[in-house]
Amino acid sequence: MSGRITGLAGPVRSPLRHHHPVTPYLFVAPYVVLLLTFLVGPAVFGVWMSLHNWDFMLPGKPWVGLQNYRDLFDSSSVLFHPFWNGMKNTFLFVLMSVPFLVAIPLGLALLLNRKFRGRTFFRAVVFTPFVLGVAVVGLVFGYLFDPEVGLVNGILDGVGLPKVSWLSTQPQAWITITVMTIWWTIGFNAVIFLAGLQGLPEQLYEAAELDGAGRWSQFRHVTVPGLRNVFLFVVTTTILASANLFGQPYILTKGGPGDSTTTAIMAMTNEGLRGFRMGSAAAMSYVLALALAIISVANFLIMRERKPS
Amino acid sequence: MTTPDLVRLGRRTLLGAVAGAGAGLALTACGGTSGPPQAGPATGKGGAEGYDGPNVELQYWNGLTGGDGPVMKKLAQKFMDAHPKIKVTTTSIAWADLFQKLPAAVQSGRAPDVCLMHTADIATNAARRVVQPIDDVVAGAKLSADDYAELVWKATFYQDKQYAIPLDIHPAGLYYNKKVLTQVGADPTKPPTTKDEFLAVLDKCKSKGVKGYWVSALSVGGLVAQSMIFQNGGYMISDDGAKTGFGDQPAIDSITFFKSLIDKDYSPKNAAGDGDWVSFSNSKAAFMINGPWMVTPCKQAKGLDWGCAPIPVLGSQEQTWAGSHCFTLPRQTNQDKNKATAARVFVNWMSQNSVGWAEAGMVPARKSVRESAEFAQYTEVKQFEKMIDWAHFPPNVPGAGDTDPEWTKAISLAVTGKKPIDQALKDAAQKGDQILAANQKKYGG
Amino acid sequence: MTTTSPITGAGPGASDPASTEPGGPARRRRAYSRTRVGPLTYVAMTVISLIFILPLLWMLLTTFKTESDARSIPIRVMPSEWTLRAYRLIFDDAANPVYTWLINSLVVSVLHMVLNVVVAAMAAYALSRMTFRGRNLLFGTLIATLFMPGFIFFMPNYLTMSKLGWLDSYWALVVPGAAGAFGVFFLRQFFLAIPRELEESALIDGANSWTIFTRIMLPLSKPALVTLAVLSFLGAWNDFVWPVFVLFSPDRMTLAPGLATLYGAYTTDYPVVMAGATLAAIPVLILYVVVQRYVIEGVANSGLKG
Repeated sequence: MSGRITGLAGPVRSPLRHHHPVTPYLFVAPYVVLLLTFLVGPAVFGVWMSLHNWDFMLPGKPWVGLQNYRDLFDSSSVLFHPFWNGMKNTFLFVLMSVPFLVAIPLGLALLLNRKFRGRTFFRAVVFTPFVLGVAVVGLVFGYLFDPEVGLVNGILDGVGLPKVSWLSTQPQAWITITVMTIWWTIGFNAVIFLAGLQGLPEQLYEAAELDGAGRWSQFRHVTVPGLRNVFLFVVTTTILASANLFGQPYILTKGGPGDSTTTAIMAMTNEGLRGFRMGSAAAMSYVLALALAIISVANFLIMRERKPS
Repeated sequence: MTTPDLVRLGRRTLLGAVAGAGAGLALTACGGTSGPPQAGPATGKGGAEGYDGPNVELQYWNGLTGGDGPVMKKLAQKFMDAHPKIKVTTTSIAWADLFQKLPAAVQSGRAPDVCLMHTADIATNAARRVVQPIDDVVAGAKLSADDYAELVWKATFYQDKQYAIPLDIHPAGLYYNKKVLTQVGADPTKPPTTKDEFLAVLDKCKSKGVKGYWVSALSVGGLVAQSMIFQNGGYMISDDGAKTGFGDQPAIDSITFFKSLIDKDYSPKNAAGDGDWVSFSNSKAAFMINGPWMVTPCKQAKGLDWGCAPIPVLGSQEQTWAGSHCFTLPRQTNQDKNKATAARVFVNWMSQNSVGWAEAGMVPARKSVRESAEFAQYTEVKQFEKMIDWAHFPPNVPGAGDTDPEWTKAISLAVTGKKPIDQALKDAAQKGDQILAANQKKYGG
Repeated sequence: MTTTSPITGAGPGASDPASTEPGGPARRRRAYSRTRVGPLTYVAMTVISLIFILPLLWMLLTTFKTESDARSIPIRVMPSEWTLRAYRLIFDDAANPVYTWLINSLVVSVLHMVLNVVVAAMAAYALSRMTFRGRNLLFGTLIATLFMPGFIFFMPNYLTMSKLGWLDSYWALVVPGAAGAFGVFFLRQFFLAIPRELEESALIDGANSWTIFTRIMLPLSKPALVTLAVLSFLGAWNDFVWPVFVLFSPDRMTLAPGLATLYGAYTTDYPVVMAGATLAAIPVLILYVVVQRYVIEGVANSGLKG
């Protein structure tokens, strides 16, 4: 993952300066302005906000110290339930979706890695939903899974099965959101896995074949270790993406039934941009970020430890 | 709140529906000082003198995403026909989104010229300087409290300044299903007016195997239970905005009563949020307690033989939950004088010509309109007009609605029996009071 | 929110410092794909393709139905009468200008892509080829932000947008996201792997830094630039939560918040909702067919290690 970060800024061999001393600053200036304005500044300013009761429309923004953070961990506070409900739901979604979002694309990639006519076409088809965007996909799934007139219930009804209220009961609502997410993003991970597969040196498979390894054994001993880095990348980015869940429930369930699909990001935006308590919303974002950092590091360590000798 | 939100409830998000049912919940916290009020442009006598400037286009926002949206659009069209120089572009955004976008629009200088909201939202938006005082419109049009029902007039003030012109009043009332009443042997011409009469009919229903009135843990905490709280002499939030009444005896009595309807088999268990409407419209229940916006859906429901009447007095006083739509003028950073005048002309005209709004089931707020012959033909809506003096409006304190989630959650826990009633309500009261205290500090600062 | 990760909502974000080398591994090693393929593969691939295609066909078919056909139970597959009512409604609905949203989405995504690639390439060039005071500090900061999820910038950046007057404008969607460090990091890794000989000979010919950057580095880095461009475009295109909150006028919305409002406005009138989705989807599908290869290769490269 960070194997290439050699030294801090990498090697610059040439001892000769062949440019004007100001030149590098001109090159980095546009980026630095953006970096300071939209990342570094906000990262610091957000902490400052989180120490206040911050409503951007009000002149008074009372200082509350660490109260916003304390409230997040105090079960008698009003922040506690919305926040941890959001965290729980987000975590639930990560657990539910990530295995599918990794395993199914991998299977697809293995299929697509075979040589056959039209595989470029199939690869493009699989990727299509992703370019449509979450909004289009959300609308289509809202109709497909409509409890009364949707195609899915229509089919169930047609074969004599009871209709399912896909959006207003649990766990059906989560199933719908997960299915939609899989359908929408499967192509993305599949394409990355496919590229990883195509990067595996053929000699390894040949050698394995000579040793009498079967398909499964080749998969286990050549493909899986060879894809380790790609795995790490896909799992990490998929966890992060799933932890950012917002659009799917926003369109399909508006966070319901009850608040059972209200995600952490929804809890944050509800708090900050609907309740206009941007200070506590900022505090929520830092706690969520910390949780994610812990998960990412753990994930990184786990995947590393299994490295074969 | 808009009707169709409730109607659609089963289909889509409960959250939206709860927000819908709970518009009445809206209110909250504490007075304090707001920023310096914006001086309104003293042009055109607050819109009383009409508009004869150059052509202008007004942006008009409302949250009428349901069946009442088209009625409002028709009214706006009538206004445009009468004022060819003013073009009104109506944008309907779901209320919850509207109140997220409106402050941002004001901040970035892209505020609409006119915005419809509920009186419950005025204090919050006034305190946050999202809307501007409109005393000049009131003075220019020579409007006074006498032109309106007193309660709704008072509801448009925040800290002694008026921020809105009321359009309508929508109190909760009783809908009764004549077919079911006949079927169970009750008099279909005499809807119950008291708790005893109400229960007597439910008993008759029960003896015929009919669940007479459907109570849903998801929606009963809205206008239904609140009406009874007010009838019991209680409040959701105290007038000074310092305290919720969630854990007080009137609230406990109200929730106990509605839960008992489930426990005594007058209502099925686990009814959906819109169960009262679904059962009523399919002639499976005798009653529905709801706002006048259900008049139109009832008229449209096939095979429904129904009537409406003032809400039965389940407590000790004649009171009912009520909301009101009103026109506000959002604060403009760069006020265009012509638009300012045109917006005032629009608001003034709408208030005078609001009878068309009865089409959406709403009771016009203006007395002269209610007394008109045209309004007399809306016989069902007239039933709701009877309750104008019973109407209970939220106190004018900012932070409206912040305590709703605690209340809604507590009701759900209490009615489904997951928590004892008084414990659920007292817990909610404690958290609600915390919210109010925090708001007091925030808006006071 | 697009600040760090080019793809939000779902789909891999970019907080992982991936890198690609010039030429790409795929070119260096021959792909392993010798496995024989029987008819079963075709059956499987066809079934899978149908899973992706059928919902879209259903969407298209619904647009030609009447409202009652679209709501009929049991399901009516073909319309009992073909109608363009849904399209007429959509085109007449000034409050839901789907085409404006589509154009806004395209403009915003392209501008964001261009800004992101240009700014990142310039910074990456300086970081990979020049020594200057503050270079390590800059690089360290950049790496640190790679590990921060985008949502922590949400509230403060919302305030910044409000202060700059960028709420409800293209700028809010184009600019803040370009601060993401992924592009700089990604291109820097690529530039580092490019041999210096060409630049050195250009230097001897008297070329200045800008000339070397535009005439040598950029042309040599095409695969990496395409990858970054594709990821930036898709990131802006698929962004949802940020546009939902920073945009509010119907004529300024992009597809994400726009279609969400459309769904709210026409809840039960599915032909109209599907017509909106179809109008949004068709131009994108056409564009995708044209640039499909670049999109797929761009995404493929994002996960590769050198």
